Amino acid sequence: MNLLNYVPGNSFLHRLNPITKLAAAFLYGLACILCGSILMELGFIVLMIAVCAVAGLGKRALRLTRNLLILGLFMFVLQLFFVRTGEALVQIGEFVLITTGGLASALLLSLRVVATMLPLMLLFAITPMNDLCNALVKKAHLPYRYAFILTTAFRFVPLFSTEFHEIQDAQKARGVDFETKNLFRKIGLVAPLCVPLLVSSLEKVNSSAISAEMRGFHLRTRQSGYKEYPFTGRDVLIFVILISLVVFSALFL
Amino acid sequence: MIRFEHVSFGYPNGETTIEDLSFHIQKGDFVALIGANGAGKSTISRLCNGLLRPLSGRVYLDGQDTLITPTSQLAKKAGFLFQNPDRQICENTVEAEIAFSMKVQGWPADKIRERVAAALETFDLQGDWFPFNRSRGERQRIALAGVLACEPELLILDEPTTGLDYLECIRIMDHIKMLNLEKKITVLMVSHDMELVQDYAGRVLVLSGGKLLGDGPVKEIMKNEPLLRQARVLPAQIPSLALAFGDRFADVFTIREMYEAICREKGRGICRAGREKE
Repeated sequence: MNLLNYVPGNSFLHRLNPITKLAAAFLYGLACILCGSILMELGFIVLMIAVCAVAGLGKRALRLTRNLLILGLFMFVLQLFFVRTGEALVQIGEFVLITTGGLASALLLSLRVVATMLPLMLLFAITPMNDLCNALVKKAHLPYRYAFILTTAFRFVPLFSTEFHEIQDAQKARGVDFETKNLFRKIGLVAPLCVPLLVSSLEKVNSSAISAEMRGFHLRTRQSGYKEYPFTGRDVLIFVILISLVVFSALFL
Repeated sequence: MIRFEHVSFGYPNGETTIEDLSFHIQKGDFVALIGANGAGKSTISRLCNGLLRPLSGRVYLDGQDTLITPTSQLAKKAGFLFQNPDRQICENTVEAEIAFSMKVQGWPADKIRERVAAALETFDLQGDWFPFNRSRGERQRIALAGVLACEPELLILDEPTTGLDYLECIRIMDHIKMLNLEKKITVLMVSHDMELVQDYAGRVLVLSGGKLLGDGPVKEIMKNEPLLRQARVLPAQIPSLALAFGDRFADVFTIREMYEAICREKGRGICRAGREKE
């Protein structure tokens, strides 16, 4: 399962206005960034997973959290060794390896990364890309070509991934040993794949552009979409809750 | 050369599944895989060199079990020509491109130089060309030259002539046929082009929905219209016409043979012969 795919549904999260969803994801992220307490960051993550679970997206949220935690771990390790404030925690002879400040800051930062990114990633599960794009054009008055860039970029990700695997297969069939256990060797082997991938991508971009032009891409205006995206009381409620959350986080956490 | 033993395969998303498929291809055979889209032709071709591995059953390539032998190892035996040469080409010059496979397979440098020079001449290519801005036919030739330079014992062709003009197609296929006859290279060709299958293959495997519907000499299969129809394959035109003309045209497969048969039968009322059969 692709973790950025839309999950069809009719929960309260799905029914929100796409703009509200986008803004809510950003505001939630902002609250996480402003928050300075490790426990509260953890609380933000749990809260997000709980909200998703209520909307029937619990599994997706957990899997995303797991994947983000790997990224978090990377940040954790970096912070742990590079922040050298506070008292010594682990010491080898005269050399201080880990400090209390380092540990606290590493924990906070890695959890913050997870907490901030989680709502943004979950946005894709509850919003079809086209709706987001159309709503941005209609409500936020974003020029259509920029909204189009956004949706196209996302639509091309799985395409490129398929293409990449095809190219990898072609090279495997020629005797390139991708099954090697040596990580550095593997990276060295993947590098030559970039050439055919780049060539085919550029070709694809060119033909997509031509086909969009042929179908009157430049004629599209804000009125072209037939769907309307009205704001409702529900959206206002979400805005109020999230803005209070940001204020609360900035003032007290 | 290739042996499928009760092979089953399915993609994770549930696409084309192959169920309990068994067949054997002898060394030196020229075999064509035909069938409608989604019949499992490409899947079978990829099972042969370990790009895909069977979920159950075994595939043996020259005695090596593809389940446990790495693809890079199998690649020394089996050359694979893809439909789209652009997925294969990754070097900046034709020379380097042809040498690529031999390099990764660990050939000695002097042997590589020798083979590259020979390949450039055989396929009418120039070593300093930038492969990506050559024509479709030339790119396909470059890819084929790269595959054949390693002297594989088995050549797998996945719709090798799509997008090529008639002359390019004949040129490539004639060369492959020559290698098949002279060097006893086994060829497994996936194709939709029945004329091509009829002209070059010796044996045909007919697939439908991942199952083997028919397996036999090309002349037998081409005349078996119900079988081809069942596999949703349009038979080549001349054999179909010959079939309509009746038994006296039984061994007519090419335009030349048709012409000669018509001359022979002139005045005997070939059309009547066909009508009587109905």
